[in-house]
Amino acid sequence: MAQRFNWLRSGRVITGLVIVTGLILCAIFAPLLAPNDPTEQDILAILVPPVWLPGGDWAFPFGTDSLGRCVLSRLIFGSRIALTVAVFGALGAMVLGSILAHIAGYFGGWVDWVIGRVVEIWLSFPPVILSLILMVGLGAGLQNVILAIILVDWTRFCRVLRSDVMVVAQRDYVAAARLLGFSHWRTITREILPATLPLLITLMSLEMGVAVVVEAILSFVGMSVGAEVPAWGQMIADARADIYSAPWVLVLPILAIFVTVFGFNILGDGLRRTLDTRLTQTERA
Amino acid sequence: MALLDVKQLTVSLTSKTSTLDAVSELTFQLQPGKTVGLVGESGAGKSMIGRTIAQLLPPGFAVTGGELLFDGEDLVSMAPERRRALLGRDIAFIPQEPLSALNPVLTIGQQFREHLEHIGKGGAGWKDRAAAELEAVHLNEPRALLNRYPHQLSGGMCQRVLIAMAFASRPRLLIADEPTTALDVSVQARIVRLIGEMQKRDGTAVIFITHDLRLAAEICDDVIVLYAGRQAEYGPAEVLFRAPAHPYTRCLELAVPDVTGDPRGLYLLPERMPGLKAIAELKGCRFATRCPLADDTCHMQEPDLAEVAPGHVSACWKSFATEGITPPPAPAAAARGSEKILEARGLSKSFVTNWRLFGGASHFHALKAADFIVRDAEFVGVVGESGSGKSTLARTLIGLETPTSGTLQLLGRDIIGTDGGTRDWRQKQMQIVFQDPQSALNPRRKVGSIVAQALEVGGPSLSAEALEVRIRDLLSDTGLSQEMAARYPSQLSGGQKQRVNIARALCRLPRLLIADEIASGLDVSVQAQLLNLLLRLREELGFSMLFISHDLAVVRYLCDRVLVMSKGEIVEHGETEVVFSDPQHPYTRSLLAAVPKGVRVPQVEELSA
Repeated sequence: MAQRFNWLRSGRVITGLVIVTGLILCAIFAPLLAPNDPTEQDILAILVPPVWLPGGDWAFPFGTDSLGRCVLSRLIFGSRIALTVAVFGALGAMVLGSILAHIAGYFGGWVDWVIGRVVEIWLSFPPVILSLILMVGLGAGLQNVILAIILVDWTRFCRVLRSDVMVVAQRDYVAAARLLGFSHWRTITREILPATLPLLITLMSLEMGVAVVVEAILSFVGMSVGAEVPAWGQMIADARADIYSAPWVLVLPILAIFVTVFGFNILGDGLRRTLDTRLTQTERA
Repeated sequence: MALLDVKQLTVSLTSKTSTLDAVSELTFQLQPGKTVGLVGESGAGKSMIGRTIAQLLPPGFAVTGGELLFDGEDLVSMAPERRRALLGRDIAFIPQEPLSALNPVLTIGQQFREHLEHIGKGGAGWKDRAAAELEAVHLNEPRALLNRYPHQLSGGMCQRVLIAMAFASRPRLLIADEPTTALDVSVQARIVRLIGEMQKRDGTAVIFITHDLRLAAEICDDVIVLYAGRQAEYGPAEVLFRAPAHPYTRCLELAVPDVTGDPRGLYLLPERMPGLKAIAELKGCRFATRCPLADDTCHMQEPDLAEVAPGHVSACWKSFATEGITPPPAPAAAARGSEKILEARGLSKSFVTNWRLFGGASHFHALKAADFIVRDAEFVGVVGESGSGKSTLARTLIGLETPTSGTLQLLGRDIIGTDGGTRDWRQKQMQIVFQDPQSALNPRRKVGSIVAQALEVGGPSLSAEALEVRIRDLLSDTGLSQEMAARYPSQLSGGQKQRVNIARALCRLPRLLIADEIASGLDVSVQAQLLNLLLRLREELGFSMLFISHDLAVVRYLCDRVLVMSKGEIVEHGETEVVFSDPQHPYTRSLLAAVPKGVRVPQVEELSA
């Protein structure tokens, strides 16, 4: 049983988990943590610098933007949008991608051919352009951002997982399960899925980082949530005008995106190193 | 002077806290032109000597004592440049897996050229030299071969290429680490003869590492039997095989069935060879825990190597008491029924190899109109070289391949291309035991869950207690302890994994087992235990078995009848004893002739003739 929690011993995993947990807490307890209402405009306090710069005010620890809104509060509330998109976008892409990957890798033949070609055609579109086109078609809104991420990024899961499924499906124990009378569904869920799960978890963690970036891009061009909901991409877009007079308003949301993506990536990388059976098997041998 | 003089060589696994010996005080001499065999089960340390010479010891292992003199120079303390100059030139290697030793993306010619350059024979005209070397190992059209890739060659051909490369530098010492283990018996005979021939040409000394005592007895001058890293016995091959002084040598020999002679039982060595840790804790003889002759002295004091005859040493307190070790009597012939369990008529399978849009397709006939019957409680062996269609037969019977034509009846019921109900019934009546337990056991399931896996079909049909009872029964049937149920396959030894593999197939009490090479690749003592287990299980549970194997001796021991396959055809079939003692088909005769029998082969005369 001790082996089961080996992955917790990796420094990368712990770093990633600390960052991601912090973000999740921020998002859940946003109303308690934020010092101000993120949408409230204080015309008397426009572009107040953060507290560590001369002229800072503790009422607005990270300063205010051009409309006098508290930057810290907007960052904290913005994490709600970022994480919602990260979780549901990645989950959706994973479900769609991995179902198709298991079908393609397990059955092979023409099924695999069809799914493989669809993935290739899909991948030949630049992802950002594809998501923008989708957003134009679907209309702005949080659900549609998530939907766009799912529709663009399922191919990542499908391609990588398919080859893993193919390797596992060649193992004799999969044939043995079939010969014991297991149905295809049961064979996939009981024999193949446990072997591909570590890769799935790893990919999912990496995909969350990607989803945060995509959401930032879409809200930057105003295609995500409405202007009344704070989002990091939107904050960057709003701060462009004052880039020279108030750079912090631009830098802080960029930093927030950076830290979030870094957290997900290092968690994913750590999980890959500790959970990937191919690596652990060579260590064992 | 001896070409290779190994003195008290000790190789250990060293860590901060302990030093565990993998090879202890190995001592032997090798004269130019002679062959010494290193024999032992896996874990005996027989590969360590080759790895020490090549400085390719596994991480953590190091030479901690003794000398390894090659022509008077110590290979252990030698400067790395000097060693590199010797390796590949004066000292050559032939690996176990010919296919993985060749680079798959380079042609044979490119690899040969690289090697010739390393040994200083490169430059203009390398093609002629390479072709001449390939011709010397009896490869046809050597020039065309230079342009081919390893995957276009058979395993035997790859091994010949490697032998040609090894001998290109006219080495003085050759280390062959299980060079024929991955090959068929008939190919093995040719490869072994070829090594002997090249050795005669160049006067090369050979270290031949093998697990097969009989093969060693056939081709070696001297044989060293290793047990748990220590020399158990060292002497002339003939003597060692005919009249072993050490009980381990005798037990090894008796644990393997014969292809000729009176039927006898297999000697069962209990348990397993102690691991490195266990060795360090042993006070007495390392073999004492498994030795049939051991007494108090053996358990308390470690015997030294003592000369029992000129040039013959043995590390035993009771050397030459081995006559007292006798094999158990042959297993009684089982009461075979007359009911037809499986009946195949004209069963064939062909694969489309070269499909064209116009002009049809060419077919490869992997299985040609096979007719045979397996009766109640009967073990039927299927023998043949690789590529003879044995595995296609197994896959077709079990339903992994659909036959091209012919009929197949299980208990009188047609089972080809049938509906779901018949498929379920077929899967209950007929089960397969896969060759490689490493691949056949899901590493993420516990043993208990694996053996009862068949009962999961169609949802939970048994209560938790009933399931528990079934698991317990299956484990005890196959000789596994109850604690195993909670372990993962990676925590088991090779023999234990194969038992789990069998237990899973037996879960729903099938009438017929298809076993594909299940006793291959196991150590002889583990193999003997497994064969006896199968015989006992037949007596208790009364199933039939189709036993596919390339090992004729094992088939003779286990099976009542035998089918001999060649190129997809059953060329001979009948009662095992009759077929093996009086083979009719030339192919059967050549197969039987290729089996090592432990008699030294007079090589030179045979080859010049």
